[in-house]
Amino acid sequence: MNRTVVIVLCVVVGITALLLLGKKASKPKASADPAKQNVSGSQEPSGADPAIGSLAPEFSLKSVPDGKTVTLSSLRGKAVVVNFWATWCGPCKIEMPWLVDLQKKYGDQGLQIVGITKDDSNEDTIAKFTKKMGVNYTILVGDQKVQDLYGGVGGLPTSFFVNRSGKVVHEIIGLDSESKFEDAIKQALL
Amino acid sequence: MRFHRLILLVVSAGLLSSALVCVTKAQEQEPVAPKPRVFVDFVAANNIVVSPGHSAPVQFTFHVQDPYHINSSQPLTEELIPTQLHFSLPPEVAFGKLQYPAGKLMSFPFDPSTKLSVYSGDFAIKGIVLAPGQASSGIYTIHGELKYQACDNNACYPPKKLPFTFNVRVGSGGKSVPKARPTRTSPHIHN
Repeated sequence: MNRTVVIVLCVVVGITALLLLGKKASKPKASADPAKQNVSGSQEPSGADPAIGSLAPEFSLKSVPDGKTVTLSSLRGKAVVVNFWATWCGPCKIEMPWLVDLQKKYGDQGLQIVGITKDDSNEDTIAKFTKKMGVNYTILVGDQKVQDLYGGVGGLPTSFFVNRSGKVVHEIIGLDSESKFEDAIKQALL
Repeated sequence: MRFHRLILLVVSAGLLSSALVCVTKAQEQEPVAPKPRVFVDFVAANNIVVSPGHSAPVQFTFHVQDPYHINSSQPLTEELIPTQLHFSLPPEVAFGKLQYPAGKLMSFPFDPSTKLSVYSGDFAIKGIVLAPGQASSGIYTIHGELKYQACDNNACYPPKKLPFTFNVRVGSGGKSVPKARPTRTSPHIHN
């Protein structure tokens, strides 16, 4: 009888251990971070997006139209919006006037919006486009390396909100409302 | 007593096996790597048979997955990237000018005041395939590539290329060559 009890106990412990292991393995890995808004409804995993609270990946890119090299670290102390966009992206065109207004409104408080283009167009085309759109913030020519550092940037627009310490505090994928954008900027300016 | 112990052992073994299967399945469900997003599928090409020195109609059907749309071949603004079909052709096959369908004029939530010329759902691109008079009979596998740029209601995605293949049988069964001639006679790439 004692032997039977030992066998039953072993089986119960074994099954419990296996079930716990199974539950752990089946847990979804994607975080449900409220600071990450995916407006596009995309189901595709965004890869290794910079995590909320982590340091925003450093970049060194050429600006348009003046050709100066801009690094993220040179903007430390400011709240930075890293906004990925392209000339062929309709929703990006809708967002641009908001960014112009927000740069005007919060520039004095230390906001710097940085538009990183994901375009294959030449720099003249990009410069003409941004002039037509009345862009008053920094425009940089992106490359694959910076896209990879920011999780691949599958959908446009995608914006990362970086606080004065260089940490990502919010992310918006796809077009959202101007008010949500402003809220995220205020959070970065804190 | 021994009989009871035997039953207990069999039931325990069964439970352990089930638990092991659960663990294995759970581990299988773990995401390994993100699959690349697919916006457009190649549905079909018609059965293409063309006699040497003759031509035959051809139609390629594609499907744009919901909820996406892609620009038509003639988007309404210069910044937008048009949908284009290209082929790598052997010397035995040429294409006449392709006929792209007209885009649907639609507006989207990101800009309700502006209409865009887009394809969504199924769309077909038509054309004429030609075989030169000296073309050898046989089945030729042609590589095609659809270039497009997709968006949904809130975001746009980088331009993509959809490669696909189809067969052209050069032999009996083709129609007479129409007056229309291929716009380009390059044996490799054709717009």
